[in-house]
Amino acid sequence: MPEQRVNRRQFIKATGAGALATGIGANIIVPGRARAAKKTLKILQWVHFVPVYDEWFNKKLAKEWGEKNDTEVIVDNIGIAGINPRATAEVSAQKGHDLFLFNWPPPSFEEQTVDMKDVYQEVEKKIGKPIDLCIKSTYNPKTKKYFAFSPSFTPDPVNYRQDLWSQVGMPNGPKTWDEVRTVGAKIKKQFGNPVGIGLANEIDTAMALRTIMYAHGSHEQDAAGNLTLNSKQTLETIKFVKALFQETMTDEVFTWDASSNNRAMIAGKLSLALNAISITRTAEKENPENSKKIQLTKALKGSVRAIGLEHVMQCYVVWKFSENIDGAKKFLVDYTTNFRQAFVAGEFYDFPCWPKSVPDISKLIANDPKGHPADKYKVLDDVLEWATNVGYPGYANAAIDEIYSTWVLNVMFAKAASGAASPEDALKEADAQCRRIFGKWKEKKMV
Amino acid sequence: MSHDTVTSEAHARAPARTRRLAFLIDRPQWLGAVMIAPAVLYIALVVGLPFFLALYYSLTDITAGSRTLEFVGLRNFAAIIDTPKFQTAVQNTFIFAIGSQVVVIVLATVLALALMKDFRGKWLVRLLILLPWVAPMSLGSIGWLWIFDSIYSVINWTLEAAGLITADDWPMYLGKPYLAMASVITVHVWRLLPLATVILLAGLTSIPKEIHDAAQVDGAGFWRHLFQVTLPLVRPIMLVATLFGLVFAFTDMIVIFVLTRGGPYDTTQVLSTLAFFTGIQGGDLAEGAAIAVSLFPMLMAVAIVFLRIARRTEVI
Repeated sequence: MPEQRVNRRQFIKATGAGALATGIGANIIVPGRARAAKKTLKILQWVHFVPVYDEWFNKKLAKEWGEKNDTEVIVDNIGIAGINPRATAEVSAQKGHDLFLFNWPPPSFEEQTVDMKDVYQEVEKKIGKPIDLCIKSTYNPKTKKYFAFSPSFTPDPVNYRQDLWSQVGMPNGPKTWDEVRTVGAKIKKQFGNPVGIGLANEIDTAMALRTIMYAHGSHEQDAAGNLTLNSKQTLETIKFVKALFQETMTDEVFTWDASSNNRAMIAGKLSLALNAISITRTAEKENPENSKKIQLTKALKGSVRAIGLEHVMQCYVVWKFSENIDGAKKFLVDYTTNFRQAFVAGEFYDFPCWPKSVPDISKLIANDPKGHPADKYKVLDDVLEWATNVGYPGYANAAIDEIYSTWVLNVMFAKAASGAASPEDALKEADAQCRRIFGKWKEKKMV
Repeated sequence: MSHDTVTSEAHARAPARTRRLAFLIDRPQWLGAVMIAPAVLYIALVVGLPFFLALYYSLTDITAGSRTLEFVGLRNFAAIIDTPKFQTAVQNTFIFAIGSQVVVIVLATVLALALMKDFRGKWLVRLLILLPWVAPMSLGSIGWLWIFDSIYSVINWTLEAAGLITADDWPMYLGKPYLAMASVITVHVWRLLPLATVILLAGLTSIPKEIHDAAQVDGAGFWRHLFQVTLPLVRPIMLVATLFGLVFAFTDMIVIFVLTRGGPYDTTQVLSTLAFFTGIQGGDLAEGAAIAVSLFPMLMAVAIVFLRIARRTEVI
């Protein structure tokens, strides 16, 4: 076989043509590659409680927004327990998602987030002002920075068994915490169904106990961010929770995780629980008969006021190391100003922080095809007025976040309720912990 | 360069490579180093690096959301050491680790001795014993969460069906301090038992049969044989198994995180979970790191003592 020699000129021609053909050819075969300059927007979301919401967000909203803005939108969904570890890892690596959703205020990440003031201004220009809860959960008055942006929150109403409460003359459920105590005890005695306010190291407990505290005029901090836990009101609240536990509940509230009260309510065990509308929505799917018995009522009045907490606070941050800061901000503006779609897709789980973003909210919740009766969720009509943030009347700052995350108040109430400590000692111990935590974050100039 | 030169060089290269390989194989000191290098590299990257990073973080003021950090010396350690939360966590860590290890060693010895005997279906028993070890820890713990659940506990359903308890007095396994600690220890024992059993089984198998025969000829009964012959001979390997188990128990957080998150009212809070809640959930990475590494000196001392005793008692 004769040897074929290739000179340098022929080699360069052949490889050049090959490279050109490979580049162009690939773009002809794979059209997406033709637009090499297309931007990317990476979003991290939690796995939503309502699966249809994720379907809508990932497959419809993200796709349509991407097409409109010449951007490839990539959405990753992770479980709620993985959010903080994931955020810490992204900060450590200085790489990750352009838009990152926390399900609670993330003040300790402030240093790494872009100021969202312009997003607030842009949205405000289009649909007016947000509710106070929104600002209190995403703004640091000390540094004057919006470390996150919140389009929505999940309310934490009272879920009660109408069939049981009707039999003791209260078909519309309790209106005050004192009624929960006295009538709840009566129901427990008569029908064997206890009240279900958690006393465990978990988030539903943390929310419910703060709701009782705020309703009774007890707070971790004042409006200016000064620690105020050690007060007469807190001591009275601890005594109230102790009595509430002894008279209306059972030991199982010490065992709970975040989904236990859902399960207990749907199983028909409890007479009352505080939770998002996840209880009623799950019951509608899994136990429709029981769902007719579970109704909702507004925030209950304590000795000072009627107030409720957010159950989940959707707080988006844009990292300083994000590769598409502008895209992330634009997505947030568009998402928030058109929040009605999200509200419907999430089956009313997420309520708007910007009232005008769902102008017909009253009409929507007054006629829900899945609810029994159809106006079951109408009770949440004024939730934007009575829902508040963790850390009320102050802002959700880094110290409040650590107190929340290390279960300081959960343990305080649980110790007193179980008799492991006197109310005075439980308060003293919790106050000492809060003092140390506040001091630490003040030193870091975050509070 | 001509075509022929290239070919002859290629030919010459192959024997040179073989010669180098032969040099390596013929010298155990080099071969040993090369063979162990991947393991050392793995430990350095996956264990060493995070450990030294944690140690470094514990001496700074780093938070979950910050990249700038200042050296603060032992301030984080000084801040946590007097807090009741930390002290409770230290106490719980010891109860959890030592409690689970005592049970593990006793049960593993019984199981290993039983598995030394020949019986029908031995392979199936061995397989079943190993199952908890191969199952992912988090999944196993979630399974146990359901077993201890306040509404759907299979234990309570069974006890009630057997008429031993009534619906009104169901034990709340994760709701009472002692029951909760016993529950997390049970799950940890379930998880660690296979490893300890396999290690002890290996130790028992390595005892020469003549020693057992001699003991039998001398008329030693079961207990005397066990305590004066078998156990002293497996003591070194038993110490290694205990050390493994202790280190696992001191550092593991999955069982407690899934089952109780430290509750009821911090009575099962251990150092690893407290470090996670403070550092990752609460955002104070420096203090979380200080909590996490606070037991290191003690663990190191325990490891040194155990390994020394193991070496001294090595008789096989």
